[in-house]
Amino acid sequence: MTDPLVRFHNVSKSYGTYEAVKGLNLEIARGEFVAIMGPSGCGKTTTLRMLAGLETPSGGDIRIDGKVMNDVPAHERDTPLVWQSLALFPFLNVRENVEFGMKMRGIAAAERKERALLWLDRLGLKGFEDRRIDQLSGGQRQRVALARSLVTEPEMLLLDEPLSALDPHLVIRMQGVLTRLQKELGITFVYVTHSQSEAFSMADRVVIMGHGEIEQIGAPQDIFRAPRTRFVAEFVGRNNILPGDKPGQELVVAADRMVVSENRPEGNAIKVEFLSEEFAGTSIIFYFEGEGGEELKAQVSEETLARLAPEPGQTFWLSWSPDSVHVMEPV
Amino acid sequence: MMRKSSILFQIYLVAIFAFIFAPIITSMIFSFNSDRFPTFPLGHFTLHWYETAFARPEVWLAFRNSAVVALAAAFLSTILGFATAYTDFRYGFRFKSAYLALALLPPTIPLVIMGLAMLAWLGRMGLSGTLVGIIIAHTVMGAPFAMAICRLRLQSMDPALEAAAWNLGASQWSAMRHVVLPFCLPALISAYCLTAAVSFDEFIVSWFVSGLNKTVPVMILEILQGNVDPQINAIGTVVFMTSISLVIVAQVMIFKKSSQ
Repeated sequence: MTDPLVRFHNVSKSYGTYEAVKGLNLEIARGEFVAIMGPSGCGKTTTLRMLAGLETPSGGDIRIDGKVMNDVPAHERDTPLVWQSLALFPFLNVRENVEFGMKMRGIAAAERKERALLWLDRLGLKGFEDRRIDQLSGGQRQRVALARSLVTEPEMLLLDEPLSALDPHLVIRMQGVLTRLQKELGITFVYVTHSQSEAFSMADRVVIMGHGEIEQIGAPQDIFRAPRTRFVAEFVGRNNILPGDKPGQELVVAADRMVVSENRPEGNAIKVEFLSEEFAGTSIIFYFEGEGGEELKAQVSEETLARLAPEPGQTFWLSWSPDSVHVMEPV
Repeated sequence: MMRKSSILFQIYLVAIFAFIFAPIITSMIFSFNSDRFPTFPLGHFTLHWYETAFARPEVWLAFRNSAVVALAAAFLSTILGFATAYTDFRYGFRFKSAYLALALLPPTIPLVIMGLAMLAWLGRMGLSGTLVGIIIAHTVMGAPFAMAICRLRLQSMDPALEAAAWNLGASQWSAMRHVVLPFCLPALISAYCLTAAVSFDEFIVSWFVSGLNKTVPVMILEILQGNVDPQINAIGTVVFMTSISLVIVAQVMIFKKSSQ
């Protein structure tokens, strides 16, 4: 990547003997929407906090705009963060919250007010400027937090699981707000989440982390269809992991590429026992147990469900075409 | 059944309050009674005892001493208490539990011991018998209360709040000034009022260290040693009203946190 905005070079962070982040290398381009995803404790939040200057790396260096930032304190960086808890100041009203960053930077009161009102308007909060924070709904607070971070017009916005406290229907709406904002402003978003749907639907690139290391970086589709490791395949979900031909080799077949049949079909197939089904909107996931006790999944249509009418314990065959197979790196 | 037990409970509650407040109320009533001795039936209403008590310059002086000591000791206690509570909130370090135990220790020391120790220590420093000496003693006694109140408030603060301020360009000191202190303001007011009340009422340690600069409780004892006089009731009523007002403000401010 030429002239990246952010560059992590061999960055590590340890707390005592616990290594939260190990030898992380990552470049983030200008104007890119990057999601860092992984299970809790994978080091994603630590990575974000190091970028904001709230944690100091134990090793390696972090550059922003080519400048090494390791020892630059948080308040001298321009890396506003949208917090999981939002961290709005309860003793200030909406406008004062939005003005806080400008006040700390010594911008005059009149200009502060003008810019705060502009951003509140932009985020659909016109008329709410004198409200107290506890008089707002969850979605409104979310937008105040966004306005507070964006009002200083930073080059980069950090987001730490900002939607995790919202109702599902609000999450979808806020995802729309965030992607639109990111495109309009053309700034870099670094978005930390454990939610696959949030990461995959918004980000240009997804970074999957596990145990303090990057497991895979790629476009959402690539990560979904071609997981590099077993960890990624399992974390992304809806994948079937099958033994490969060579020892130690493993294959991945996505659940939506699996065909369920009652009799043994031609080609690649395995015998499985039906466990249960799960409704996910219009699609249905069948869960099976393979002969070795492994869990297997197939995404089927409503017609298939009606035709097969599976009973727990019933035997089926799962088959797949050779071109839907992805071979993973050996463990 | 339910009704009966709830009535019993209410009677119990009234009895407790009567038990606690009866002596104070009685003293208040006799402070307005014209008779020289506290006996029933009462005489007529009078402000005579207040007039005579507050005509005495030593009473005014004692009130002035008490006010100076209470205001200054409460100020210092609140600063110390807040600083200790913040250290606990913000930092983890070795021997932290020992540090906290030490900070909370003073109220567990018997007052006579505390008074003697203060007398010896302040005497050595040449502060015995001075207002500064009493202020030091009362600061030591008040700080743990202030710390407990500030700690309660800080526990309800989102730890991300301070970091959010840094993230928005506030230095450590600006974050303290613009975020932590405003958040803790109700607790600071509460701590100030409560420690002022503690100081204003405190007798034993004051008695040891006050010397000629008597505070109100010490002066009351001196008057009592001379003769029993309804003036004591008048002074006592003023002291009680002052303390209870401070405590009420302190309580209101503590409960304010739940609404925010």
